[in-house]
Amino acid sequence: MTRVTSVVRPEFDPELKAGLAVVGGMFPPTITPDLIDFMRVSYASAPLDDLFAERGIERVDTEVPGHEGASLTVSVLRASGAESDRPGVLYAHSGGLMFGDRFSGIDLVLDWVDRLGAVMVTVDYRLAPEYPDPYPREDMYAALEWTAAHCEALGIRPDRLMVAGASAGGGLAAGLALAARDRGGPRLCGQVLDYPMLDDRGTTASTSQFDGVGVWDRVSNETGWDALLGTERGAGSVSPYAAPSRAADLSGLPPAFIDVGAAEIFRDEAIAYADAIWRAGGDAELHVWSGAFHACDIFAPHTAVGRSMIHARDTWVEKILGD
Amino acid sequence: MQELLGRIARLDPSASLGLRVIACFDELVVGNVNTRALLAAAASLAGCPAGFQQEHPRRLLRVSPRGTVVDGEPPELDSVFVAPASDGLAVWLEREGPAFPNDAITLERLALAVRIRHGRGRRDHDNRRHLGLLTDLDVAADDRIAAGAALGLTTTGRYRVAAAPLFAVWLRHPDGPEDVIPTRHGPIHAIVLAESYDAFDATPCGVGVATSVDDLHHSFRTAMVALRLCSPPEDGLVCADVYGGLVDMLADTPEGRHQPDVERMDEIATYAWGLATVGAIVTTQSVREAARQSGVHHSTMSTRIEVISATLGFDPLDGFGRARLGLAYLGHRLRRSKVLDLPAPSLAPDKITTLA
Repeated sequence: MTRVTSVVRPEFDPELKAGLAVVGGMFPPTITPDLIDFMRVSYASAPLDDLFAERGIERVDTEVPGHEGASLTVSVLRASGAESDRPGVLYAHSGGLMFGDRFSGIDLVLDWVDRLGAVMVTVDYRLAPEYPDPYPREDMYAALEWTAAHCEALGIRPDRLMVAGASAGGGLAAGLALAARDRGGPRLCGQVLDYPMLDDRGTTASTSQFDGVGVWDRVSNETGWDALLGTERGAGSVSPYAAPSRAADLSGLPPAFIDVGAAEIFRDEAIAYADAIWRAGGDAELHVWSGAFHACDIFAPHTAVGRSMIHARDTWVEKILGD
Repeated sequence: MQELLGRIARLDPSASLGLRVIACFDELVVGNVNTRALLAAAASLAGCPAGFQQEHPRRLLRVSPRGTVVDGEPPELDSVFVAPASDGLAVWLEREGPAFPNDAITLERLALAVRIRHGRGRRDHDNRRHLGLLTDLDVAADDRIAAGAALGLTTTGRYRVAAAPLFAVWLRHPDGPEDVIPTRHGPIHAIVLAESYDAFDATPCGVGVATSVDDLHHSFRTAMVALRLCSPPEDGLVCADVYGGLVDMLADTPEGRHQPDVERMDEIATYAWGLATVGAIVTTQSVREAARQSGVHHSTMSTRIEVISATLGFDPLDGFGRARLGLAYLGHRLRRSKVLDLPAPSLAPDKITTLA
C-alpha cells in the first residue's frame, strides 16, 4: 500500500482509528468558520434525562449571574438522596469555545456524581465568536464565585471544590485556577484538565503534526482561537486566563490532573503545562495516551485506550474528592 | 458510537451508516485488534452487548457498549442476532426486541473480523501472517511454501486466491484460509480456494487462476486484476480464467507504464459509444453480430469500427488486431476501475444477509 505522507506523526491506535470512521461523520477533522453552525447542531448534546434517571441523578437547572451580570443557565447534578457537605465540581464543557453545551461530554464524569457523591455544577458559558474573550472565561469565573458563595445551599463542602473541563473547557478550568489564585478567589482542591486547549500561539510541533486528520486539527484550533481572540491571537496582550500556557507563574495552584493524546495537537502544550507546574514546585499528574486522538474517550469510550483514560482520571478524582 | 451514528443520521438522513460500520471494521481488521476490541466496537455501534463463543476449548466473552466485560451466560437470542463465524466460532448481538437498522451489517462484519482474527494464520516473523507471505513474490520460495503448509495447503494441490475489498457483500461465503492483505489498492480480503471450488456469491470479487502453492502469488495478482475488472451489479464476480493469458500479462504489467494501445483506447472511450462498441467487438465473431449485440445497424457499426481503426492505427478485426484490441480494452478498464472505491451511499448494502 503506498501512502503519501509529508508529515511524520504518531499513528492512531487501531481501535481509535476505527472509531474515526464514525466520528468523522459528525465531527470533521478540519473546522473552518463556515462549519461553526454545522458543529452547533452536530455537537449539541442529546437529551440526557433518561440517563440521569437511570443513574439516580437529580438535575436542577438554575440561572446564575455571569460576566457583567448576564444570566447564565447552570445545571446542578447530584445523586438522589445525597446529604449535605458533599464534594463539589464546577464543570466547563468542550466544544472549541464555539459550540457544545453544558451537557457535552458530561456522561464521562457522571461517575463522580453517582459513585463519589459529588455535586456537579455545569455551566452554559457564552460562546465565541458572538461572545469573544473575556466572556467565556469570565462567565466561568462568575459561576465559580456563585458556586463558592452558595456552597451551603448546594450542599457542597467549601474546602472540597474542584474545577474540571475538557478541551476548550480544560483551558477554561486551568484559567479558573490561575484567576482564583491571583484574585484571592475560592480555594480549589484540584483541577482536572482533559486534553486542554491552553495555547493560542499554535507553535508546537504537535500542532503542525495533525492537519486534516483525527479530531480538532491545526486549522480547527486556529478557528477556535480566532473566534475567541480575533486579531489578538498570538499577540503579547493575550490574557493567561484565556490562554493559560502564557502564564509566567504556575506556583501556588491546586493539584492538577492533565491527560492528553500522543496523537493530537494539544500533546505538546499539555506536557509543557505539567512540566511548568513541576518546575514551579507544584503538583501535577500527567498522562499521555499513546495513539489517542483528541477527546477519544468522549467519542470512543469502549476502546482500550478510552477505558484506560477514564479509569486513570476517575482514580485521581476519587483520590482528591472521595470522602 | 450508536449515539454518534444517530447524530450522523439526523444531520444527513441519506447518509449511509452501513458504510461507516464497514469502514470501522475495516480498520479493526487491518489493525489486527483482539476479540474483545472487536466485540466492544460491535457493542458500541449497536448499543447493546455483543458476544463471542468458541466451542473447543469452550470460551465465552460478552462485552458491553462501554467495552466492559459482562459476566454470565448470554440470554436466549433470536437467530437473526447470531452469526456463525465458522470452525465452531459464533458471535452475536444481545438485542432485546426487534432488530435495529444496522444490526445485520454490524453482525456480519463482526463475524468476518472474528473469523480473520481467529484464522489459522498466526503472526510470526516479518510481522505478517501466512497468507500475506504466501501471496508475496518477494518472499523466498521456501518461506512461501512453509506459510502454505501452515495454512494446510499441500505442495501437490492446486489452488486459487479469491480477492475482495473489505466492503464486499458476501451472500454465500466459501471455505478456505483467509486474511486481509495490504495492497497498493488498500486492504484486500483474500481467501484460498481449491482449484475446483464450490460456487459462492460475493460482490465485487475476483477469482485468480489455479496454481501450485509456490505460484499462489501469481494467482493473487490475477485475482486482483479480475476484481478490478468487475462492474457491479452486472458483473460482480469475475474469474480470471475467462481471460486466461491476457490476465497473466496484465497481472505482471506494472501500472502506469507506457502502453500506447491503452492510451489510444482512452481516446476511444471519449466517444459515448466507444467502450460499449469495443466490448461488443471483443466478445463476438463478426461485425454483424457485434452490431446486433449493440442494437445498431450494420453500417453504423462499420463506421464506428473505421473510427476505432483510425484512432488505434491498426485494424482491430485483422490478425493480431483482435488480440491487441482485447488487451488494450482490458488495460483501459483496469486503469479506470472504480470497483475498489467505496460505493456511493445510494448503493449502500442495507439489506445484507448474515454469514451462512
